[in-house]
Amino acid sequence: MSTADLLSVRNLHKKYGAVTALRNVSFTVRKGEVTALLGDNGAGKSTTIKAISGAAPADSGNIILEGQEVSLRRPADANALGIQTVYQDLALCDNLGICANLFLGRERVLWPFGILRDVDMEAEALRVLKTLRVNLPSLDTHVSSLSGGQRQAVAIARAVLWGTKLVIMDEPTAALGVAQTAEVLRLVRDLAAQGFGVILITHNMHNVFEVADSVVVLRLGETVLEARKSELTPEIVVGCITGSRTTVGGTA
Amino acid sequence: MTVNAKDMTSTTQTQSPVRSWTQKLVQSSDLGMAPVIAALIVIWIVFEFLNPHFLTPRNISNLSAQIVVTGTLALAETFVILLGMIDLSIGWSSVVAAAVFSVTTVFLNWPVWPCVGLGIGASVIVGLLQGLLVSRVGVPSFVVSLGGAMIAEGVSLAMLTPHGGSIPLSDNLSTMIGTLNIAPSWSWILSLGLFAVFAGVMVSQHMGRMKRGAGEGHSVFFVKLAALFVLLVAAVGTLCAYRGVPWLLLIFLGALFACAFVTKSTRFGRHLYAVGGNAEASRRSGINVRFIQLAAFTIAGALVGLGGLLDAARLGVASATVGDSDIMLNAVAAAVIGGTSLFGGRGSVYGALFGALVIASVTNGMDLIGAPSSIRFGVEGAILLVAITIDTLLRQRRLRSGRV
Repeated sequence: MSTADLLSVRNLHKKYGAVTALRNVSFTVRKGEVTALLGDNGAGKSTTIKAISGAAPADSGNIILEGQEVSLRRPADANALGIQTVYQDLALCDNLGICANLFLGRERVLWPFGILRDVDMEAEALRVLKTLRVNLPSLDTHVSSLSGGQRQAVAIARAVLWGTKLVIMDEPTAALGVAQTAEVLRLVRDLAAQGFGVILITHNMHNVFEVADSVVVLRLGETVLEARKSELTPEIVVGCITGSRTTVGGTA
Repeated sequence: MTVNAKDMTSTTQTQSPVRSWTQKLVQSSDLGMAPVIAALIVIWIVFEFLNPHFLTPRNISNLSAQIVVTGTLALAETFVILLGMIDLSIGWSSVVAAAVFSVTTVFLNWPVWPCVGLGIGASVIVGLLQGLLVSRVGVPSFVVSLGGAMIAEGVSLAMLTPHGGSIPLSDNLSTMIGTLNIAPSWSWILSLGLFAVFAGVMVSQHMGRMKRGAGEGHSVFFVKLAALFVLLVAAVGTLCAYRGVPWLLLIFLGALFACAFVTKSTRFGRHLYAVGGNAEASRRSGINVRFIQLAAFTIAGALVGLGGLLDAARLGVASATVGDSDIMLNAVAAAVIGGTSLFGGRGSVYGALFGALVIASVTNGMDLIGAPSSIRFGVEGAILLVAITIDTLLRQRRLRSGRV
């Protein structure tokens, strides 16, 4: 295992009753890289993500973070280890401002009453948004008045603000237009460039080849492809997703 | 690509800040206090036109005492409504507080202050038990508080019926609070002193924001502050032209500002809004949603107890008929008219003040022009329907733009 390895998933198995969701999922995410996780519906992407984020632990298999095997039984375990998931619904409170959302559940306060240190939080938020090169209106703007891309940016900035090493993104571009998709993809690239590990779940092959460094394809609960993007073509990836191609690394 | 808010404001500086502020308000899906203040101005102009006694210092002084009970109960209801829930027990729960207070002071002859604590404590228990059912078991608040109201009614009647349904109060504290005013000189000292503190905090926060390039412009901020000051001087001046600020009003405003502090400036308040806006997102962010729900019902209980004691002090009697009156519906109406959304997460405790002012103004004005109750109820109902319609339309506007 090289030092750049951030997260290694080894032989994950998971059964829901009689249904085997994961048989043998293994892959590695490196620091400073975007790993695209692909697969058809029911291939086990969500189950894998739930295992890594602690939402639904796997039955067996190992998750190794920075060389140490970790136990992820609850979402709080994953958060404490620096694994943040940006869910498809973003989990933002639309009735609150940008800054309030960024610090939701981790507000900086003064005792004894838990008085919010708004000015400090705004300063910290501006610093993080600056490093992400995110363009947002005034930080007390309600999230409800932001565009889809800006909302995505707030959710990602929150993950960064919380001291994350690994950001898992579930279909971040699914509901976005062309310009906003480009903005979010740039953000994904920037995250990786800053040394974060990124797992990107997507159906969009174009996105994959635009931002990913390596590609992992799941099929029927098994890893069927793990390769560098440079070794791949869209045809190979699609073939692995649909199962029409069963060998990896063959001639394209 | 621009980065921080300072760059953003510089691009919009071709417009005057006041104009961009009004524009933001018109396009916004969250109007805040604007509609209710506009409604209040219209109501006052209409009644002043119908009866020139409406805006006299004496009547304004009456009005300021009339808003207190509705306002305090609306404050309680606001905490629950902000979660997207409702508490229908506040009317009878307030009677429980008054009944406990009157029985302990009048018949047991206990000292007044512990009895105040017992009265408010009784309502806190009602709120706490309802909050436990709502937060731990997940029973809908509508049904829980309906049952709670019936039980509170039973408890009140059990305490008051043996004494003929009402117990007159005679202690000095409730007489003073219910009937007396703060002397004009002290009214001025108190109000100006409090405003100085308030303005100091606001200015220091504003300066901190400006330094970091966030927040609204200087002109908008200082215009708002100056408008608030003028309003305060006008209100205190009018009240002092009669007899000074009523004690009832001072206590209500004290509760109002305490609630404003809790909801706007503390972590608890932030979490209250968050849970009302998106409970699932709040849970995933590590907020203890059940605790917030329980706390909201408990705080509401304390405010309901205060409201019940203030009502008893104002009337000079703890009476079971209060629970049968429209006290609970008025409080819910005041909160909603004040812009607090029944869908949760949107609104402000100041809405309780303005909503109570609207309701009390209509009641007071109708009494002044000698209109029958039938018309009064009709008008109040229409205002409530307009308020809830605006709330629903704004929500639909948010939904249309994909923002729940």
